[in-house]
Amino acid sequence: MPRNSAWSPYAAGALTGVVVILSVWIAGQYFGASTSFVRAAGMIEGLFAPERLEQLEYYVRVTPQVDWQWMFVVGILVGSFIAAVTSGSFRVQLVPDMWQEKFGFTPVRRALMAFFGGVIAMFGARMADG
Amino acid sequence: MKLIIIGFITGLLFGFLLQKARVVRYDKQLGALRLIDMTIIKFMFSAVLVSMVGVYLLYDLGQVDLSIKTTILGANIIGAILFGLGWGMLGYCPGTSLGAVGEGRLDALWGILGMIFGAGLFAHAYPLLKNTVYAWGDHGKITLPQILNIGHWPVIIAFIIIGLLLFVWFERKGL
Repeated sequence: MPRNSAWSPYAAGALTGVVVILSVWIAGQYFGASTSFVRAAGMIEGLFAPERLEQLEYYVRVTPQVDWQWMFVVGILVGSFIAAVTSGSFRVQLVPDMWQEKFGFTPVRRALMAFFGGVIAMFGARMADG
Repeated sequence: MKLIIIGFITGLLFGFLLQKARVVRYDKQLGALRLIDMTIIKFMFSAVLVSMVGVYLLYDLGQVDLSIKTTILGANIIGAILFGLGWGMLGYCPGTSLGAVGEGRLDALWGILGMIFGAGLFAHAYPLLKNTVYAWGDHGKITLPQILNIGHWPVIIAFIIIGLLLFVWFERKGL
């Protein structure tokens, strides 16, 4: 893995700051991601029980639809993919290096930890409105 | 329609920069939480300092609106503790999880599934939370300049000084 191709976090962070400024100026949009997970959850739940989208106050407030932030989140995936492939740092991995050092190659344990960590993290993020 | 295309392009740029600085991966996220690698703090603080100056300049010129979140101590504190716990377990945050998948870290997919599940769970729990955590310590949309009763520029300058001192300290310690 060519580590030397990494950009300085200060430079990349400062450039991100410039992107934030332009986003707020041009589109009136501040960066965020977690609201899109609520929209995605609503979309999936709507497939099974469409009536719940009208019954649950939170889905009424955060309607399950593709908006600026939803596409922003999709863009993060594509942007990261482009940067990874062009710098030769794309690597398919089921278990992160640091995890493997401590717990060995345990993809099922990693999957369970990631899933339940995700549940708790998102519940907290939504509660704090982050 | 145009707005979602702008959203996609903005995300593309952000994802590109996140990956270039190598901040989306588990090792960097856990490195910060274990206080052994401050790369993501350097990235975040740099982004915050630059955008803070630019956004407030545009605000003073009447070009943009601020987006101030409500301060509710109960929801903010309990939510933050839960987020921190989950973040440590998952090793990705909501935005970076997508970037991690983009660079091939497929374990982030489990986290994304979990986060969608957690978001749905939250939507169901919301009526209950409204009368509890959301009722504890609601201070409305307050800002630091308001509380301190000063203009926003002294606060911004203080943040820049704190940020730069932090960066110097990180580099001295080799973090």
